[in-house]
Amino acid sequence: MADLSLRHVSKRFGQVEVIRDLSLEIPSGEFAVFLGPSGCGKSTLLRMIAGLETLGAGEIHLGGARIDTIAPGDRGVAMVFQHYALYPHMTVRQNMAFGLRNIATPPNEIERKIADAAEMLEIAELLERKPGQLSGGQRQRVAIGRAIVKQPRAFLFDEPLSNLDAALRSRTRIELARLHQRVRATMIFVTHDQVEAMTMATRIVVMNQGRIEQIGTPMEIYQRPRTRFVAGFIGAPAMNFLPVAAVREEAGHLVVTLPGGASVTTTVPAAGLRSGAALTLGVRAEHVHPGSGAPARVDVIERLGERTLVYANLSDGSTIVYDEPGDVVLQVGETVHIAIDGAAAHLFDAQGMALHG
Amino acid sequence: MQTYQRGKSLGDRVLLAAVIGLALVWLAPIVWVIGLSFKPNEVLMHSTGGILAPPFTLKNYIDILAASSVFSWMLNSTIVAVGQTVLTLLIASLAGYGFARTNFPGRSVLFVLVLAALAVPEQAIIVPLHTMFAAADLHNTYAALIAPRLAFPFGVLLMTQYFRAIPPEIDEAALLDRASRIKIFFRIILPLSIPAQATLGIYTFLHAWNEYFWPLVSATKPAMYTLTVGLASMQTNFAQTEGIGFLMAQAVFAGLPVLILYLFFQRHIIAAVAGGPIK
Amino acid sequence: MAEAEGGIGPSHWTNAAFVAPYMLILLGMLFMPLCLGIWLAFQDYDMLGGWSGGVGIENFQNLLDDRIFRGTVRNTLKFVLMTTPAFVALGLFLALALNNTLRRSALLRAIFFGSSVLSVTIVTLVWRLVYLPDRGLLANALGLFGLPGVDLMTSQVWALPAIAIVTVWWIIGLPMTLFLAGLQQIPPELYEAAALDNAGRWRTLTGITLPSIRRTIVVVAVIEVILQFQLFGQALLITGGGPDNSTRPMVQFIYEAGFRDLQLGFAAAASQVLFALMLIAALAQFWAGRRKGV
Ligand SMILES: Nc1ncnc2c1ncn2[C@@H]1O[C@H](COP(=O)(O)OP(=O)(O)OP(=O)(O)O)[C@@H](O)[C@H]1O
Ligand SMILES: [Mg+2]
Repeated sequence: MADLSLRHVSKRFGQVEVIRDLSLEIPSGEFAVFLGPSGCGKSTLLRMIAGLETLGAGEIHLGGARIDTIAPGDRGVAMVFQHYALYPHMTVRQNMAFGLRNIATPPNEIERKIADAAEMLEIAELLERKPGQLSGGQRQRVAIGRAIVKQPRAFLFDEPLSNLDAALRSRTRIELARLHQRVRATMIFVTHDQVEAMTMATRIVVMNQGRIEQIGTPMEIYQRPRTRFVAGFIGAPAMNFLPVAAVREEAGHLVVTLPGGASVTTTVPAAGLRSGAALTLGVRAEHVHPGSGAPARVDVIERLGERTLVYANLSDGSTIVYDEPGDVVLQVGETVHIAIDGAAAHLFDAQGMALHG
Repeated sequence: MQTYQRGKSLGDRVLLAAVIGLALVWLAPIVWVIGLSFKPNEVLMHSTGGILAPPFTLKNYIDILAASSVFSWMLNSTIVAVGQTVLTLLIASLAGYGFARTNFPGRSVLFVLVLAALAVPEQAIIVPLHTMFAAADLHNTYAALIAPRLAFPFGVLLMTQYFRAIPPEIDEAALLDRASRIKIFFRIILPLSIPAQATLGIYTFLHAWNEYFWPLVSATKPAMYTLTVGLASMQTNFAQTEGIGFLMAQAVFAGLPVLILYLFFQRHIIAAVAGGPIK
Repeated sequence: MAEAEGGIGPSHWTNAAFVAPYMLILLGMLFMPLCLGIWLAFQDYDMLGGWSGGVGIENFQNLLDDRIFRGTVRNTLKFVLMTTPAFVALGLFLALALNNTLRRSALLRAIFFGSSVLSVTIVTLVWRLVYLPDRGLLANALGLFGLPGVDLMTSQVWALPAIAIVTVWWIIGLPMTLFLAGLQQIPPELYEAAALDNAGRWRTLTGITLPSIRRTIVVVAVIEVILQFQLFGQALLITGGGPDNSTRPMVQFIYEAGFRDLQLGFAAAASQVLFALMLIAALAQFWAGRRKGV
């Protein structure tokens, strides 16, 4: 069990700085998910931990020992690759045994470890097959099995679910969470899928352009995004952002006006903000309530079954999306009235930083 | 490849007939020579017509077994071709792995040297090469017959290209599995590149077997002749040979190994020529 | 296959051990003789008389003055001009034909390629017999039409074309295979679009197929020029360079100067001339191809 600690790590490919002075502590036994848009440097960071990329600067420590200076195989980490990277010419059993043989594990112990892992992952009947004879989901399990038998101090996953179909993906999410509870090792999981992050992580690390935007539990990230980027990246549909102006103070809280003129009372303390400051109001679809308030014209209706998303245009042309029940009766072009739940709304300054109460 | 169906038009038929006719022309000399090799020499003195009519004889082939040096030449050719093939596969694969999969200072400079070697024809270096081997007193040895062709860059480039197409994650997984570089090469990369090894191996074997110029100048003692050089040495006095049938039997005998190899590995050989192993 | 791309793992000089065996052989067996050859070309060095010092460009001047050498340059160029268009045209024709008649093509392709796996010795043995004036296959075939046999090998006019025919028969498989590979690269959608546009067979060929494989055509032409400049075994074994030197190629001149007359400096100089001519011809073709926007 180990703490993973990254200290002032940076990395550039040619002219491009991919990781910028990044520091991070992950307590032992956590299921940490690196989440961010494509190209933000998640894989690079993971591969630096594994030793597959060199560090431009900084240090990486695992379990109290510095690991960035030693060979990948000596770091005590195991990796599950996006395309699994099973050895195509070896059977499943040989794939799992390869790493153990390389550290001269006694044969009976190898057998025992493979048998245990195979049972846990329900792949016992596949042991004599080659990767080419397995389905995508089975390959996935074998790749995980190959990592488990090594009993690593940390598991590294690079988007391992992206090749699976939707049903298998959600099943595997649950199994990975269960696996984590069972083996209690530190796990680091890279994805750009926020659902995977929300469902599996004990801690989410949101990354953007080689920097960390926010670290927190899934609900912290969802309920109290620290930046406008995080707020927009987490949650589906994406959070509504509306340009607003601060108008006055009401019981210490800031009141802002919407483009249409309606005002919203937030929970953000007014202290230090001058009236008229240009801000951005962020509100999730579930916190926009139809019935009364500002008029808007229905533009698109997206029916998801259990709920319906309604995209409506406010009087100034900006679009806002909100929730209706699944069976709501509504027509495109109709006029609706919507109100924003000020207590659940977020405010961001011109730099994109959240103003919190 | 055209995927849509099209009826056989008159043009198609004419084209097909032309190509089949051409193919027959292509085959004719070989079929004719094989036929002659089964005819008595006395008959061939007068006429070479009517190869399908008797008399036939196996005497020409029996004479090969009995008398000529063809057997020892064939042994020389086999030693040279097999040795060259095995060494080329090993050396080219190692180098290909080094270029495709590892990092070391000066790698790109060395790779440019390999590419540059493509432009150097055998004739540009054969005189000084001969001088070097003469100075080292190495002519008329198997080493001299094998070594120069090991420098040809084709194999290294083929293997480099093939290794690059293997997903790098496979090597990375092995690195994380604590395998050494050498182990990754022998246990992972070599087994995964068997198609390329087959292609390069057969290609190398054929070239070594058929090589003419270098063995001609290096192996000057008849006992060290390869089959190609040995057969050529007998051709010069065409008129006074023991007979056309005997000569033809030797040609057939010498051509048989490559033709058999060709029949079995046709796809690999053609793929090597087209610029890469079978996918 | 351009420049080296990034490998895996950290850079370390020990990894150079993988390429070391090959690089040593490359230096010893290719670059060292190449440099030695360039040096030799400026020396007066023959096997019997030994080394008598540098002579500047004298070897090259002697070559220029050598009637036989000038003849071999002429013969070689003639041979290249005869065979290269034949290889391109016939190779392209066969590839187009085989690409269309797919079901039969495996066998036909095997036949046309098969002759190239034979050694030059076997090929020349076979063809000397074919060309035999009284009893050869050619004479037999002509006899069927009541024509007398001809002796191509002793004709100053016909000997070189006869060698060219042998060469085309021998290695037509290479250009054919390269063209077939090029044709397979053409996306089928192009043909489907042409068919929808009612393009006929000829229009499809000139409008789609040929423009799509222009690069291959240039590549094949360059390869053939380089290969045919190296004419040697066929000439040596079929005609020995005769009659009256009319088929003696440059490589045979190098062979005879270097290995029969043992004039190493002189032979090395001839090698450099050959090397230079080949480079110039290949570059000229690439340049011409580039200019046409290939
Ligand atoms: N070997 C390399 N050479 C040059 N640039 C690279 C290299 N590897 C990655 N990059 C660049 O570094 C940046 C980060 O890449 P990285 O693979 O870490 O992104 P990612 O967050 O994993 O994205 P994705 O979600 O698409 O996998 C990208 O802009 C990428 O183009
Ligand atoms: Mg990635």
